[in-house]
Amino acid sequence: MILSKKEVSITIEIGFSILFAVFFLPYFFENRLSSFEFVQDISFLSEVWVKIIQMIVFSIIYYSISYTLLEIIFKEKNIKDERDDMISSKAYKLGFRLYELSLFVLIGILLSNSSIQNSGAIMFFILVLLLGVLLIKSVYQLYLYRTS
Amino acid sequence: MNLKNILREVRLKKKLTQEELGFSVGVSRQTIISIENYKYKPSLELAMKLSMALNCKVDKLFYFEKDN
Repeated sequence: MILSKKEVSITIEIGFSILFAVFFLPYFFENRLSSFEFVQDISFLSEVWVKIIQMIVFSIIYYSISYTLLEIIFKEKNIKDERDDMISSKAYKLGFRLYELSLFVLIGILLSNSSIQNSGAIMFFILVLLLGVLLIKSVYQLYLYRTS
Repeated sequence: MNLKNILREVRLKKKLTQEELGFSVGVSRQTIISIENYKYKPSLELAMKLSMALNCKVDKLFYFEKDN
């Protein structure tokens, strides 16, 4: 299977979502907040900042290396045309609908289940939801590039 | 009715590669491949550009084929 430059760049995005989930989601699950008390906890707050900086550094390094390699391997210039716009609008439409739907489901679960409300995992669930939607959107975009 | 085209035939007659044709109308090679394989229906603007680049009338380049 030969992938075009655009398809490879979408694969890079998919790779980022997966790596982000593997490296950073466990931290957010382990340190899920039971309330907003953390604002007063300076040590926890500094720990969160360290994690955020780690995430930013990780993103910069990942994208710099990936896109440098991409430019070295694919010398051709990337032309953005109407087909790209059509594919990205379809993919973003799906992503938005999924996000909307899953947010409604999450709100419904939270309203009906008080144990989840107090578990403090809301932030974690929203993060998982965002990452999941991003992953589905990218996979769908790749599928459209391969088939349309 | 399905929208079909004779883009590949006309392009080959003009001895143009998909990349060259794409470059002349400002789209990628993949877009030309998709149009030739009837997977992507171009906008009116792109259809007109293709017709001008290939010096072929747009209604000859693109046509409707009735369903069986």
